[in-house]
Amino acid sequence: MRNLYLWFIATMLIAPFVVVLGVSMGESKNIAFPPDALSSAWYSELLTEAEWLAAIGRSMLIAVCAAMISTVLALAINYVLWRTKSGFAKATFALGLGPFLLPPIILALGASLFWAEVGWYGRMEATIISHGVFFMTLPLVIIARGFAALTDEVIEAAQMMGATPAQVFQTVVFPLVAPYVFTGFALVAIISVNEYLIANMISGFVVETLPIKIFNNVRYGYSPVVAAASMLFVALTVTILLVLSRITDLVALFGTSKDT
Amino acid sequence: MIGPRTYGPRLIGGLAFGVLAVFFVIPLIFMIVVSFYQPDPMGFYKVDFVWENYGKFFSSFYYTVSFRSLYSAALGAVLVVALAFPLVLFVSDLSRRMQLFWIILLLSLMCLSEVIIGFAWLILMSESAGLPRLLEWVGLWKNPRSLSPSFGAMMIGLVFLGFSIVSLILYPSVSRRDRNIEEAAVTLGTPPALVFYKILIPTFRTSLVSVTLTMFVYLLGVFVMPTMLGRPKDWTMTVIISDKALGDANLPLGAALAVVMLIVTVLVLIVSALLTRRRAT
Repeated sequence: MRNLYLWFIATMLIAPFVVVLGVSMGESKNIAFPPDALSSAWYSELLTEAEWLAAIGRSMLIAVCAAMISTVLALAINYVLWRTKSGFAKATFALGLGPFLLPPIILALGASLFWAEVGWYGRMEATIISHGVFFMTLPLVIIARGFAALTDEVIEAAQMMGATPAQVFQTVVFPLVAPYVFTGFALVAIISVNEYLIANMISGFVVETLPIKIFNNVRYGYSPVVAAASMLFVALTVTILLVLSRITDLVALFGTSKDT
Repeated sequence: MIGPRTYGPRLIGGLAFGVLAVFFVIPLIFMIVVSFYQPDPMGFYKVDFVWENYGKFFSSFYYTVSFRSLYSAALGAVLVVALAFPLVLFVSDLSRRMQLFWIILLLSLMCLSEVIIGFAWLILMSESAGLPRLLEWVGLWKNPRSLSPSFGAMMIGLVFLGFSIVSLILYPSVSRRDRNIEEAAVTLGTPPALVFYKILIPTFRTSLVSVTLTMFVYLLGVFVMPTMLGRPKDWTMTVIISDKALGDANLPLGAALAVVMLIVTVLVLIVSALLTRRRAT
């Protein structure tokens, strides 16, 4: 019974992507599964056409910069909270949880109005900053686990040896929390690459990211290039997560096993 | 821990707070302000203080839409949690390798764009590929038609979207649970179904309720699934807000609807916090 359920859910979760993979590799221009003949034409169209390439490049740039902002913010808030344990730091931490709790449309509309008022509508920087600030909750929570795992002895040892706070941070704290920082960075980058609503509301007509382009394509008559682009996403996301699983212990990060 | 008179942490903390305040809090406040402005058909809005945008919310159309989206979000949230909780229980007892497989699978799905998941289901439900064609091939359905757009298709999309998130939220507490009571019950010959209803559900009741509420809020905000898989009458509040703000360029009305949604969200969050707190004390 147990295995049956696990298999059922796994099939349901994976099946849609098998179909998309089939469509993306099919020869026919109409959506058909299983494909009649195999062809890689849609992938080469995706990777040669300037419009698609531009969207891919924009999305990647936004993702990397946004992840940078998110992790720096999350690291800063956690560091201050760890050092001072002040009420202000706790309040900042709580505020950082906010974006995750609100429906994205509210954040998106607020940001859209804000950027229009500031006069940055249509600038990529606006999308980058908003993504960076709105997605910081995940690294915030993940890096907090890193700080929780720090033991006082190493810090005290470093201080006894005469290290300044900056040196302690550089040589002891940062290396120990680095895996968590990296995990947070990667997750924000993936989420930002995949995000549609906020990017679209902020400056979707001008800064066309990959999800926006896919959405517009699906809505106004699609071609199998969309399927190829989707598979590119799936491959990218899964690859990054597999690399992450080599660097950090994801099982321990998301649910501690009994032997801790 | 370190010398008390250092300004470094305060400076860093203040900066981080400032960034959050400027780019997260101020936009929300500005949105509330705009919701009282006068819509301007030619451009953005005219500075004013009127209640008419909220008045429009109580006109029948938006009322129906918001009730409909409350209904589909609530139904979706319950379905997601009902499906995800058993899965998480089963996964937490698997070997470490298999747990890692499931975590990567769930994490990938959580990160994956709504647009792509919606597109995948769109294909899966279409006439020429996916389920209808499979049913035809098996011989169960003579003249297959596309299954979307429909309410059912949208619900499947919503459940799929929420599934990975709920599983990952529940996973830590479920995998760390004290297994002694279950084991004792099983040793005494209790059937697994009874263990599930009498032990596991009561143990996790609070977290199940709070994750259901979280999911409810999340599903209220879903945008792509209703537009791709649902009929216009299944559209949620999110779609209407975006439609008003971008499509009709009526920003004050969009803002007012978003404020109503914000209020609903905050109320749900408060209820959720109260429920968890009562458990803690």
